[in-house]
Amino acid sequence: MGIRFVLMVNKQGQTRLAQYYEYLTIEERRALEGEIVRKCLARNEQQCSFVEHRNYKIVYRRYASLFFLVGVDNEENELAILEFIHLLVETMDRHFGNVCELDIMFHLEKAHFMLEEMVMNGCIVETSKSNILSPIQLMEKAS
Amino acid sequence: MSSQGGFGQSKEFLDLIKSIGEARSKAEEDRIVLREIDTLKARLSSPNITKFKLKEYLMRLIYVEMLGHDASFGYIHAVKMTHDESLLLKRTGYLAVTLFLNEDHDLIILIVNTIQKDLRSDNYLVVCAALNAVCRLINEETIPAVLPQVVELLGHQKEAVRKKAVMALHRFYQRAPGSVSHLISNFRKRLCDNDPGVMAATLCPLFDLITIDVNSFKDLVVSFVNILKQVAERRLPKSYDYHQMPAPFIQIKLLKILSLLGNGDKKSSEQMYTILGDIMRKCDSASNIGNAVLYECICCVCSIHPNPKLLESAADTISKFLKGDSHNLKYLGIDALGLLIRISPEIAEQHQLAVIDCLEDPDDTLKRKTFDLLYKMTKSSNVEVIVDRMIDYMISINDHHYKTEIASRCVELAEQFAPSNQWFIQTMNKVFEHAGDLVNTKVAHNLMRLIAEGFGEDDNTADSQLRSSAVESYLRIIGEPKLPSTFLQVICWVLGEYGTADGKYSASYITGKLCDAAEAHSTDDTVKAYAVTALMKIYSFEIAAGRKVDMLPECQSLVEELLASHSTDLQQRAYELQAIICLDAHAVENIMPMDANCEDIEIDKNLSFLDAYVQESLEKGAQPYIPEDERSGLSNISNFRSQDHESSIHALRFEAYELPKFPVPPKAPSILSSSVELVPVPEPSYVADVHQPATSALTVSNSGSSELKLRLDGVQKKWGRPAFSSTTPSTSSGDTFESNNGTTRHESISSTKSKVHDVSYDSRKLQPEISTEKQKLAASLFGGASKSDRKQSYTGQKVSKTNSHGADKSNLAKVASSSDNAAVIPTSQPPPDLLDLGEPSVTSSAPSVDPFKQLEGLLDPTQDTTKLSSGGVGVPNAPDIMSLYADMSLSGQSTTVANPPPNAIKTHLAKQPSKGPNVQEFLEKDALVRQVGVTPSGQNPNLFKDLLG
Repeated sequence: MGIRFVLMVNKQGQTRLAQYYEYLTIEERRALEGEIVRKCLARNEQQCSFVEHRNYKIVYRRYASLFFLVGVDNEENELAILEFIHLLVETMDRHFGNVCELDIMFHLEKAHFMLEEMVMNGCIVETSKSNILSPIQLMEKAS
Repeated sequence: MSSQGGFGQSKEFLDLIKSIGEARSKAEEDRIVLREIDTLKARLSSPNITKFKLKEYLMRLIYVEMLGHDASFGYIHAVKMTHDESLLLKRTGYLAVTLFLNEDHDLIILIVNTIQKDLRSDNYLVVCAALNAVCRLINEETIPAVLPQVVELLGHQKEAVRKKAVMALHRFYQRAPGSVSHLISNFRKRLCDNDPGVMAATLCPLFDLITIDVNSFKDLVVSFVNILKQVAERRLPKSYDYHQMPAPFIQIKLLKILSLLGNGDKKSSEQMYTILGDIMRKCDSASNIGNAVLYECICCVCSIHPNPKLLESAADTISKFLKGDSHNLKYLGIDALGLLIRISPEIAEQHQLAVIDCLEDPDDTLKRKTFDLLYKMTKSSNVEVIVDRMIDYMISINDHHYKTEIASRCVELAEQFAPSNQWFIQTMNKVFEHAGDLVNTKVAHNLMRLIAEGFGEDDNTADSQLRSSAVESYLRIIGEPKLPSTFLQVICWVLGEYGTADGKYSASYITGKLCDAAEAHSTDDTVKAYAVTALMKIYSFEIAAGRKVDMLPECQSLVEELLASHSTDLQQRAYELQAIICLDAHAVENIMPMDANCEDIEIDKNLSFLDAYVQESLEKGAQPYIPEDERSGLSNISNFRSQDHESSIHALRFEAYELPKFPVPPKAPSILSSSVELVPVPEPSYVADVHQPATSALTVSNSGSSELKLRLDGVQKKWGRPAFSSTTPSTSSGDTFESNNGTTRHESISSTKSKVHDVSYDSRKLQPEISTEKQKLAASLFGGASKSDRKQSYTGQKVSKTNSHGADKSNLAKVASSSDNAAVIPTSQPPPDLLDLGEPSVTSSAPSVDPFKQLEGLLDPTQDTTKLSSGGVGVPNAPDIMSLYADMSLSGQSTTVANPPPNAIKTHLAKQPSKGPNVQEFLEKDALVRQVGVTPSGQNPNLFKDLLG
């Protein structure tokens, strides 16, 4: 399965984007997000960008006040996931231009569309920024 | 580039987002969302909503759910929106649906039709949107509805469609492998797709397929190697590059696949050596992504048929990882080391200091990873230190999930590598004390068995010493509050079995303790049951030894309480205890022989020992027994009965209980049928029966002489289930029980009852196991422990049983005297493994560093010199600290970058509304991007300048 969820959560623990690749109820999500953010906030910059939580491994990366968290299972290459997060950020950056938390908030659907292009069935399927963005740009033009 | 606030978003939406962004607490956010829910409910129910408005409402619904509230009232609008003509609206509709619904939701059926239609669309973007939805929403039942279309789309002219069609098939495979088993060849075909994106996507399903069945895909090794070669040679479009690496994510996926294909396959592996070597040589070890690829290469090299050259460069890379400052790299290094030591164990030795550093690190993630590594390299010679460490760590953490894992690992290692039984018991005590409720109950039974079986027949003194020390430690522990139930069960059992064995403690002392324990855990029936049985054993041993038994008052009250217990099991035990106490020494000795728990017990299922009795009854005119299944056609009276029994199979019986039986005229048919569920028991009254044995000199015999029996029929029949009520076989199975005492005998009782008390009783069985495994384990432990042996020996904690225990001890003693610790590493000579002592030669006086002494924080004068002498690996602490400083100063910048003043977001938000329209700011931003560009490092302070204000 690989990637089990992708989360963006800010420092106050407020969720800014959540995409789960397996079904969890709202309560389960809420609890999970809270626990994970607490765990990650307790860590400092020198420590690993990986945290174990229940049966997930969380790979996280912090950009300004926003945490990008990816839950993976055991087979995944943690460092590659860490770079995947950065690829996602770079892609958003190319689209929004100096992306920030509010860009994601105001254009949540676009952030989701990008993620939809990059990850399917919990697998990384597309890593070319132009391939990721072209459908979104076409759609924008059309409407 | 778009900016916030533009793009036709309504003021209401902007305000909502703003207020969510400005919310300072979860509670405030919740208030906002709850208000929003009310607004949305009102808005969505109004008849004329423009499509565009509806899209906005959908996004607001997504927010509601994302922030943890239920938005199900709006799901139907999301479903409706998927019907829309406009691509943007359609896709938003699909997005909302995939976020809201799981694949088994009722509304899905409304979407399948739309999906089918969209899959046929001329606009490939519509097809893509539909395929995205297919990947999220189609479940096993709806697969056939879309499968033909998806297969057709595999040949679509647009690569984006082909890619998503492949993933849709992948999804079908994940959900229901059977549904696409005939389509596997399509994946092979798509692997050769002209478009690299389609090819890369195809690797995902192929990886899954190969994981399950390697052999069917061996022919693809050449293709994969070729693709990897082309990727590494930058044949893919530039857009796949990431930080100057050619398509690293594709490389990683390919390496994963190759490691599966090459595992244990020399021929396939040989085809991979060249490309692996090339990649490892060329890889940029300065970037994260380069290291990610390198790490994947190491995983691959360690998985495929070993190649010395590749292993060497893997080892080099690992030492680079471990020596680096980055915790992430250390983490990977430790992980990779765990893989590599399986092939070349000697490598661990070079990195011992780095490993210990990681173990000492305050970073929990790194620490756990290191425990993983230690777990992998545990052997009999280092098990004590490692397990001690693990237990200390286990005590220090609160995380249940990991606590369970590490506890079971401690148990596993202790069972596999225990140097002595004494140590094993102590270790188990610790594990039980701190994580008793988290470990498998099997572990408790193993522990009991170990104490019972001891070192074996040839060393009885050691056995009794072991037991005495166990008893002593348990008497100390038993009073402690909050002991886990499983542990208390073990304690009760051991105290009952061996509490009085060495004569050190009086029966009244032990029984007092047991009563206290039962009282203190009055809610735990299992513990009480163990305690009562233990009491029974102690009293029987006393009686058998010819001593007079005076039941303590608290014990008496406990028994009285249990006689009226709601648990039939506890009642039964209490009655048995009461009955046994009234028996004479000879009888008790037969029922409860000392120290016979290891003997096999045979259960005579046919109850053949009752034959004579049955015969006798029949001769006296009793009706023959009719098996239950043939019983339905009986006479009227018994019809009533049997109906009644049928209904009672799953429920309590509601008619009055039978009275205690009185001598019955043998010919009375109605009474006999009342006991259809019983093997006819030799009646008379309950009271008379209990006293009978005391007066008659008895011998236990096969004839099922009833005298010895505990007359508990009355009790059992209360909850009569047809199959259950046979105390008779278990209490009087004279042919076997002579050699058994309490526990095992009880087992036979409970086995007849286990249908009622399934859960608690099945787990109580202590099955003696055959010791071939143990022998193997012992051999492997003393003949140079090797990892390959470990998996065979789950239950084989009886380390020293078959081998001479004395030799073991002296060996240990020697080692201990030379180094006051079992784990010694002679760094001056090449030992077989890290932390291995194995051979007595270890005791040489060569300068040695015991890594675990450092673990204990002990300062060893020889430490520094050996650190230096152990080559480049042993970096003394001082330089490490220096590098730490360097690290800190380096990351200082990024810290300041990443930590905006607390109100940064607020000020930023305040600025927001003007941001969109403010052309100048927008242009500035744009210019900055052009000027700086998106630099790969992520340290780029400009990347998120906006947020930082």
